Amino acid sequence: MATVTFKGAQRWYAGADSPAVVGLDLEIGDGEFMVLVGPSGCGKSTTLRMLAGLEPVDAGSVFIGDRDVSLVPPKDRDIAMVFQNYALYPHMTVEDNMGFALRMAGMKRPERRRRVAEAARMLGLTDYLDRKPRALSGGQRQRVAMGRAIVRDPAVFCMDEPLSNLDAKMRVQTRADIAALQAELGTTTVYVTHDQVEAMTMGHRVAVMNEGALQQVDVPLGLYDRPANLFVAGFIGSPRMNLLPATVRDGRATLGGVEVPVPAAADGGGRAAVVLGVRPESFRLVPGDDAAALSLEVALVEELGADSFVHGHVRIGDERQLLIVRSGDRGSVRPGEVVRVRPDPARTHVFDAQTGARLD
Amino acid sequence: MRARTHGATVGGVMRGGWVSYTLVGLVTLVSVFPLYYTIVMASHTNAEMASGTPPVLPTLSIVDNVKKALDLAPLNQGLINSLIVSGAITVGTVTLCTLAGFAFAKLRFRGSAVLLAICVATMMVPLQMGVIPLYMMMARLGLAGHLQAVILPSLCTAFGVFFMRQYIAGAVPDELIEAAYMDGAGPFRVLVSIVVPAARPAMAVLAMLTFLTAWNDFFWPIIVLSTQNPTVQVSFQSLATGYAPQQSIIMAGTLYGTVPVLVVFALLGRQIVGGIMQGAVKG
Repeated sequence: MATVTFKGAQRWYAGADSPAVVGLDLEIGDGEFMVLVGPSGCGKSTTLRMLAGLEPVDAGSVFIGDRDVSLVPPKDRDIAMVFQNYALYPHMTVEDNMGFALRMAGMKRPERRRRVAEAARMLGLTDYLDRKPRALSGGQRQRVAMGRAIVRDPAVFCMDEPLSNLDAKMRVQTRADIAALQAELGTTTVYVTHDQVEAMTMGHRVAVMNEGALQQVDVPLGLYDRPANLFVAGFIGSPRMNLLPATVRDGRATLGGVEVPVPAAADGGGRAAVVLGVRPESFRLVPGDDAAALSLEVALVEELGADSFVHGHVRIGDERQLLIVRSGDRGSVRPGEVVRVRPDPARTHVFDAQTGARLD
Repeated sequence: MRARTHGATVGGVMRGGWVSYTLVGLVTLVSVFPLYYTIVMASHTNAEMASGTPPVLPTLSIVDNVKKALDLAPLNQGLINSLIVSGAITVGTVTLCTLAGFAFAKLRFRGSAVLLAICVATMMVPLQMGVIPLYMMMARLGLAGHLQAVILPSLCTAFGVFFMRQYIAGAVPDELIEAAYMDGAGPFRVLVSIVVPAARPAMAVLAMLTFLTAWNDFFWPIIVLSTQNPTVQVSFQSLATGYAPQQSIIMAGTLYGTVPVLVVFALLGRQIVGGIMQGAVKG
């Protein structure tokens, strides 16, 4: 087990206009489960590959514990990796796949078999040790890939979207399994995903990346409750946060005729234009005669059983804005209706319209 | 019951109809005919072959003719030499081309693209251009007249490097190699444990093609080898001596020299077809 530290780590691919990862500073604690999340091309996989030694670090450095591993080859970093497509050796049995790293380390066969058997028991693979990967289901292959990693008892686990090839049901199950396994082993884990639900449910902390830059690192609810900028606000949460243009005057933001109190920081510096962020559950449906509310023309109602999400449009200034509102009452709203919705001022986020930074 | 004239799907496999079978049968007949007529010619004299109705069936005199051919030319020595030469070239080519193909396909090093381009470009240089310098080189090395002079220049081919590079690039995902690196393997262990098992069909195809090419090579061996130490193709020329060479003896000798190639094809046939099919599917 070890800490992982990125100090100004940068990766610039040949022929690219900008770096894939820009001066990344990130500290991951011993035994921590850190999730790197972001859209495609945000640099999260490159970051993981720099840690694994599969990509060079063009500037800055990467530490595992106190050791600078920036120039250390992958095999000497004491890292195990789970790949998106599992990368199981197709000509080897499950046992040989899981024991390959131990064989490379020169471990004797009896000890190797014991370690593989123990990992197989943890993962429920004991009955499949003699099979080749092609004779396994997707979920089983995923577990073999996990087994190959844990059998080595490495300092750090690197996982590159290991659930993306599984169906939805299996993904939810495996998500819980991986989180439980990591908690049991206590091994420092860096997990890459583009799925913010995975990030929120699995990580001790989550690092959100965009265009090669780290946007925010926090515990999952910290990201949800206090997004540092517009990107994080829009990325974390499903359905996404409603981001609406507003003007600020005298400590109040005006949103389509509705006034919302804003923090003092949002009113400073002669700033007039801001973006208000309101999550779907932070709107309330109010009676039609409530003046401090927006008129929402309902276009679609998503009934999910426990919740309903109402999609519609509101008029803000001259523009029609898409709005998503959560409604607790099943069947109370129908497409084509106009309902009144009011944002909860205590749970409204304010962002700078120019820089996108959070204001409070 | 109506005869099937078109293909039908049986258990998910396309079965040909009688039209397909007839066509395939005809093509097979046309392909096999030269070999068959070699056997016929090897068992009849020049006069019999030149008669009004040429014979169409072989006779047992083929055995005598093979014996005569063996008396006339050092065919057995040629066969042994050809086996040595073709075997050594095949082992060398498959080994070196797999190594180079792996390097070009999966290792990142400066100048990789330029080196591959140069390697491929050498395929455009005709063999005849290099014959004189190559002969001089072999003579200076003291290898002229020795089998090494045939083996050395053919130990690695640009075609083989390119072929293996293309196959390995497509058949072995980068993640597999990266996983092996993470597991503690170095490049050579990755090659042996991960790449070679995946590249086996391509290696079999390359081995077969290389063996056949080396076996059938005549131009360079006849330049660099003597008739005292020939390959089988070079030894055939001793059969065609005299004012009116006996075609039956030439054909009997040729047949004798062809058998090993047929054996190789029979042994590797399935692998060859498998390799070619895989290549076709992967595009």
